[in-house]
Amino acid sequence: MVLGLGGRFLGKASGWIAVAAEGLALLAGVWIALTEASASTVYHDRSFVWFSLPDGTNLVMGTLVSPLGALMLIVVNVVGFLVVLYSIEYMGHEEGLPRYYAELMLFLTAMNGVVLADNYVEFILFWELVGLCSYLLIGFFWKRPSAASAAKKAFLVTRVGDVMFFVGVFIFFTAFATQTVNPAFASSVSVYPGASCPGHLTPTWACSGFVFAPPNTDSNVPFLAASALSGAANQTLMTLGGIMILGGAAGKSAQFPLHTWLPDAMEGPTTVSALIHAATMVAAGVFLLAITSMYLGFTPDAALVILGIGGFTALFAGTMGLVANDIKRVIAYSTMSQLGYMTMAVGAASFLVVGPGAGMYHLFTHAFFKALLFLSAGSVIHALNTQDLFEMGGLLKAMPVTGYTMLIGALALSGVPPFSGFFSKDALLSLTWTAAQKDPVALPFFLMAATGVFLTALYTFRLWFLTFSGSKGRSEAAHHAHEPSWIMRAPLVTLAALSVVAGFFPLIGGFNHWLPGLSYGIFGFTQTSKGWVFAAADLELAIASLALAFAGIAVAFALWGNGRVFHLADDSVWKAPQKVLVRKYYFDEAYDGLAHGVILGAARVFDWVDRYVIDGTIHGFEQVFSMASLRARRAQTGLVSSYAMWIVFGLVLLLIFVLYGIPYLGTLWGG
Amino acid sequence: MVALPYLLPYLPELTLLVATFVVFLLDVAGEHRRTTLGGVSAFFLIVAFVEVLADLGTWPFHALSTLPASWNGTAQGPILFTSLGIVFQGIFLAIAALVAIASLSEAEDPDGTPTFYALLLLASLGMLLVAISGDLILLLLAVEVTGISTYVLVGYTRKDRRALEAAMKFYIIGAFSTTISFFGASLVFGAYGTTSLLAFSQVPSDPSLALVGFAMIAVGLGFKVTLVPFHMWAVDVYDGAPAVVSAYLSAGSKKMGLFALFAIFVGAVRVFDTAGNGYALAIMMGGLAIATMTVGNVLALQQQTMKRMLAYSSISQAGYMLIGLAVNTTPSLSAATLQMVANVLMKGGAFVAVAAAAAIGVGPLITDWKGLGHRRPILSASFAIMLLSMAGIPLTLGFVGKFYLFFSAILAGGLFAILAIVGLLNSAISVFYYARILKHIYMPEETGSPDAHGGTRSLASSTLGSSTSPTDPQPSVAISEFRAMGYARMGVIVACAVLLIALGIYPTPIVTALNAAAHQFVALH
Repeated sequence: MVLGLGGRFLGKASGWIAVAAEGLALLAGVWIALTEASASTVYHDRSFVWFSLPDGTNLVMGTLVSPLGALMLIVVNVVGFLVVLYSIEYMGHEEGLPRYYAELMLFLTAMNGVVLADNYVEFILFWELVGLCSYLLIGFFWKRPSAASAAKKAFLVTRVGDVMFFVGVFIFFTAFATQTVNPAFASSVSVYPGASCPGHLTPTWACSGFVFAPPNTDSNVPFLAASALSGAANQTLMTLGGIMILGGAAGKSAQFPLHTWLPDAMEGPTTVSALIHAATMVAAGVFLLAITSMYLGFTPDAALVILGIGGFTALFAGTMGLVANDIKRVIAYSTMSQLGYMTMAVGAASFLVVGPGAGMYHLFTHAFFKALLFLSAGSVIHALNTQDLFEMGGLLKAMPVTGYTMLIGALALSGVPPFSGFFSKDALLSLTWTAAQKDPVALPFFLMAATGVFLTALYTFRLWFLTFSGSKGRSEAAHHAHEPSWIMRAPLVTLAALSVVAGFFPLIGGFNHWLPGLSYGIFGFTQTSKGWVFAAADLELAIASLALAFAGIAVAFALWGNGRVFHLADDSVWKAPQKVLVRKYYFDEAYDGLAHGVILGAARVFDWVDRYVIDGTIHGFEQVFSMASLRARRAQTGLVSSYAMWIVFGLVLLLIFVLYGIPYLGTLWGG
Repeated sequence: MVALPYLLPYLPELTLLVATFVVFLLDVAGEHRRTTLGGVSAFFLIVAFVEVLADLGTWPFHALSTLPASWNGTAQGPILFTSLGIVFQGIFLAIAALVAIASLSEAEDPDGTPTFYALLLLASLGMLLVAISGDLILLLLAVEVTGISTYVLVGYTRKDRRALEAAMKFYIIGAFSTTISFFGASLVFGAYGTTSLLAFSQVPSDPSLALVGFAMIAVGLGFKVTLVPFHMWAVDVYDGAPAVVSAYLSAGSKKMGLFALFAIFVGAVRVFDTAGNGYALAIMMGGLAIATMTVGNVLALQQQTMKRMLAYSSISQAGYMLIGLAVNTTPSLSAATLQMVANVLMKGGAFVAVAAAAAIGVGPLITDWKGLGHRRPILSASFAIMLLSMAGIPLTLGFVGKFYLFFSAILAGGLFAILAIVGLLNSAISVFYYARILKHIYMPEETGSPDAHGGTRSLASSTLGSSTSPTDPQPSVAISEFRAMGYARMGVIVACAVLLIALGIYPTPIVTALNAAAHQFVALH
């Protein structure tokens, strides 16, 4: 089963080897996923012991093909395969191709590892590897200083999230390990205990961290019995842990306030952007939340925070997408915004204690149309050698395949039926609406997300109209544009087809097995275990979101359609807000200031102590010694004395602690 | 005549003793060439290393073992063989062998060479004795055997003023610290009435007298381990000493200090770990660990020269390892030892890499390394792996060690989690300064260098941390790189980098062995 993983390492000699390896991995991945869907039990192999702890607990590098993992396997490898294929032409003229393919393969390997990991330790290992590879790939054009700095930024910002993630996992572990969980917990869910951890009803993360909902597609049935929830783990700890884990997911999935790296990450090759945005890195964050959602069910507060961060990011990123002029950056902001939807949906699912299927479904459909958008954009960039929207225009005639496939992607992203984005967005909005009815705190975030639907359609079609509509291009290059060869067209067409049909996949029996908790609906009719059920509220919701999407498209058409170029007048009252948006709400400046202020500040304080306090004493000593000793020896003796003085200082501190502190602590702790 | 069977268990120690005599004899005989003296030293060190592996029962050497099974874990007078001690002997011999081999590439130095190898062997002999001491006095004496040898090692060239100055400082502060620890030892003797290390796991008749003694010993040994605030000498000395000696101090002598702390304190920390005693020693060790990690890391952020940065990062690494003693459980000791194994490879390797870079004219500043990744791909990729390992990035042994260490603190539960969290935050800070160096190394050069053309090609193969071998396409580039910086030295550097990755991916056997050793150690003390 891990054959696909092994095959990847071959792909360093050239692109075609990489394509073959990834193709092999794709076949393996699909086969594994299909096996998973038809199997009655979950494939779970824990035979490879990484190392053992003295108490007999084993840290295992296991393989777990869970329903969610099976779905991700398909997403990662389909998109991965198409991107690698596309790279053959797109990257053909670049230097350092073996490096590119090697890194790409390692990236995909790491992502497959994340998806198949059976415990948090293994997860963290591959997760870090994903981060490292993204650093390498974003910085692929290392000769451009901006690429190098973007890579560093991505690495460091996600590192901040990673630390939070570690801490969160530690906290969860502590919260569960020290608490006797109600036996109902164990019986109401499918826990996959490791072979080496018999008798652990408590799902400890060292043993086997992941717990999944039973294969139950009905969102109305909570997968956790209420009795299991009551008086389970320590609430405060769990909430803290949940928020910390959200930090990790926010770092990888570019959620507010750790979003700043994502737009800059556009410095990497477009193929890498497609991969990062559709299937790998950013999806890892949502996947983390999804597999953790079982635990998050214990902590409604943390679930609400997740919901809120997601809803806010969905709107927040959309506003920035409105003013970007770089074709890739617009798509980057849309990714951030769509990830916000997914995060929100997982938060809502955790809050309602249902499976994370809605968010994962959006991840699934989004992977295809986002990869499609990026690869189409790449095709345009390839033809025009510019990324500026205002240097494009009128390209539909010259590049019909690219133009129409991108239109499909744009429609799917905007949530227009019958394209896939509509169904998944509908499912998650309806879920969030349910959550908002249960707790009004979620309501503002639901409204933000709904506004986001309008903005999504607006900026997506601004992009499309500016690129393709009109009779002639706005730059010389745009006049000579031409379609790329089939190597680049084939992935586009495949992805476009997938973007259309992915919306209907839940109708196929067995697909929903991979998406526990998804309530799939079409205009008010919802698929449940008892057949199709109609709910007026869902219909209204679907119509409302559709109306918002069409409004967005209409506004976009009015402003930018047919080759029109809309600019704000210089004296417009909207200039000031536009500037704020262009500067990305000044987050970069604020973070830079923070980094310089806090970290360098702390370093300077220490340095100051080093220089003035210590050196000052040295100078003091020097002066004393200079009266008595030779000049040449002075500096050395002075330094040495001050070092000795610090040792004495430390000793005195320890002695005070031993003689006075300990008796005090002893009485304090009642010894 | 002494019956041979009584001497056989001490074969590794005797080997080094013989080696020292051989080096001195060669010196008297007028042999001053590095190749001869270094070769002889490296040979004996490797022989001793194999004997240690045999004593550990490592396949395929287990048949060579000269240590009676009954001796392992029972005191023989002042001597106490333990599996953990023998593991540490392996660590000491590995770093000594690494330094001896790497130094073969140094420039000829007829005056200093015999002194260097003789002292290297003597210092290692002292470390081996530390690892089998069962008695406080023997232990501290053995520490001093190493200490005095290393003081001279720092200034062995006798030409470099900075090295001499560093040696002088090192000696004065060292003497001062030794005084404190011996005074502490006498107080501990007063409290317990014995100097056997195994006795410290009992409650003494006068606890506060014992605690004062322990605190003083902690200060004296804290000097060796570079705990804050006893660390001040370290930066000057690591910076001033020849790079291979710095490697030896950072990866060898510091680990000896940590083992001495383990041997003395494992029992004592546990005994005082009750509410009535205010968790005295655990808090002391935890506090020292936090101070050491944090100060080391924050000061490393500011450093402009490579060796000083490595020195500060080495200080912070000592802080991480001390977590093992503060938590004081089988997993935590095992994890700290694992981290030390990683440190031999990454810190030892990194200092050797600095020496190699200096040999081709790279200056001491971090900015002097700018663009080296394009000109010297093998050296740069290996150095990058070492830095990534120090930063704790997965697929390196540094990650496994750090992860296991923090994990063991979490497993112990309670307030020990604070140590894990402070450690995590610290390792996040440390990424900043390691990433900064990586950025410089792989940054394009502003001015065209003579071999910039070939450099671009080889860059393709030198992706840091990727799965490709760093020595891919052009064998001629690789060979010229090895020639420019010395075959022995480059061999050591590449071997360290490869081992860091290999053990990082599959640490299973080594962790199993360390767990067993730590288990015996904790049960014994």
